[in-house]
Amino acid sequence: MSQLELVQELRANRPVVSTELRERVLALAPPPPPRRIEPNLRRLVPAVAFAGLAAAVGVATVVGVVNSSHGGSVTSAKTSAPVHGAALQKRERARPRVHANPTAGLYADKTLRAVAPSSSRLQQYDASLRVRVKDQAELSRRTQQALRFTRRLGGYVVSAKYSAPGTSGTSRLALRVPIQHVQAAIAAFSAYGTLVSQRITLKDLQQKVDALGIRIRRLRARIAAGEPEAQLERDKALLRALTRSRQATTQRAQLASVALTMAVAAKQKHAATPPGRFHRTLDDAGSVLVREFELLLYALLVAGPLLLLGGAGILASRSLRRRADQKLLERA
Amino acid sequence: MPRLRRISVVKPNAQDFAEVAERHLDDVHAFLVYLTGDRSVAEDLTAETFARALERWRKFDPRRGSARTWLCQLARSTALDHFRSEERRRRREGRYTLGGTDAQDAAFGEGLSPELEAALSRLSAAEREVLALRIILDLDGDSAARVLGISTSACSTRLSRALQKLEQEVSAGVAA
Repeated sequence: MSQLELVQELRANRPVVSTELRERVLALAPPPPPRRIEPNLRRLVPAVAFAGLAAAVGVATVVGVVNSSHGGSVTSAKTSAPVHGAALQKRERARPRVHANPTAGLYADKTLRAVAPSSSRLQQYDASLRVRVKDQAELSRRTQQALRFTRRLGGYVVSAKYSAPGTSGTSRLALRVPIQHVQAAIAAFSAYGTLVSQRITLKDLQQKVDALGIRIRRLRARIAAGEPEAQLERDKALLRALTRSRQATTQRAQLASVALTMAVAAKQKHAATPPGRFHRTLDDAGSVLVREFELLLYALLVAGPLLLLGGAGILASRSLRRRADQKLLERA
Repeated sequence: MPRLRRISVVKPNAQDFAEVAERHLDDVHAFLVYLTGDRSVAEDLTAETFARALERWRKFDPRRGSARTWLCQLARSTALDHFRSEERRRRREGRYTLGGTDAQDAAFGEGLSPELEAALSRLSAAEREVLALRIILDLDGDSAARVLGISTSACSTRLSRALQKLEQEVSAGVAA
């Protein structure tokens, strides 16, 4: 019997359903409606994903709008923050220029008081300031002003170096200012522009002067007591040297050294106009979306391997189940 | 002939199920007869298959396949549950089937020759089910493969081997 004949015979003699079975099947009653709504995963998963995406975009938009409404006030606060030097400069301009006391009013701002020299001990006071001015005209003006102010305080200029090539410029002044006016000088120089750096060094000279004074007194006493001629000449020479040293030390303590360096600020690019509210909103919303994406990526990186393992496990179990069913059918 | 695409899908209801049951009852029954090799078991399993189908009728999506294919899948699942429970019962009772059922009247079809009946009873359920799907129910290769949970090529291979074995069994029976 060929395979074709087998097929024909099989098709010609199909099993027939009994009447009892037909009635039994057609009499099946529909089940009662389910009490709870059974979720359709095929529709639920895309709906949840879409809702999640909409929520993420909504949150980002709200955060962007809220931040943008606050961002303007924050920005204006930053730009209007006063610079000490500039504020003092404005106050200084508002006062009458001629004062009997050149230092009058400069101590109004307590923050500008430099380290004060001691009034009871001799000290070597060295100060170094670096100030940035806005342009060459300002550099020239402030240089002249510093020289005049130093002289007005009773001090003098040790050296002055000024150069203004191109659009830049630097002014280096070595000044000596009476110790009692050094704080006023530092305060005034700090107000010439933006104070970039400031360094003050104090060195006590009192001990040295006191020690010199003691040696001088002993030497004078020795000379007054009478000495051989040779020794007397040597002691007088030593006395003169010690006296000169004490005078020089005392003089050094009476004048403070101030090194003032002023430089023209580097050309700044034209300040960009602050972004409008719409752009701030977009920026903030974009930042939030990026952050949300980072969190999602992190969650996927953490959960991804677990999901992969789970999926592999499910596929493996299905494959095993299929093989088991096949073996079962082969045995049946 | 090109496949017609449905523009809209109507949700299945009880009335539709009754029509589907009427239309495909014979196919499901025939499939289960060949799968189980026992008419009485096949009738019970047919009733159980349609009972399950009625419970799940709301979830049936005609876009994923025809109702006949879906019912055959359910029938196969029902039969596998039956075989598993039977195997567990036999293990508990300490008895194992020695193969083949007792001789009974025309298990697979009323007009089949005795040699063909005997040859069919000597095939395994796995071999008979592919014969039932492709030859008795005349399902195409894709639909039959979907019911069996295998690829189309694997289904064709199984069919070829089943027919070959049937031919050999019939020839052996005739020779005997």
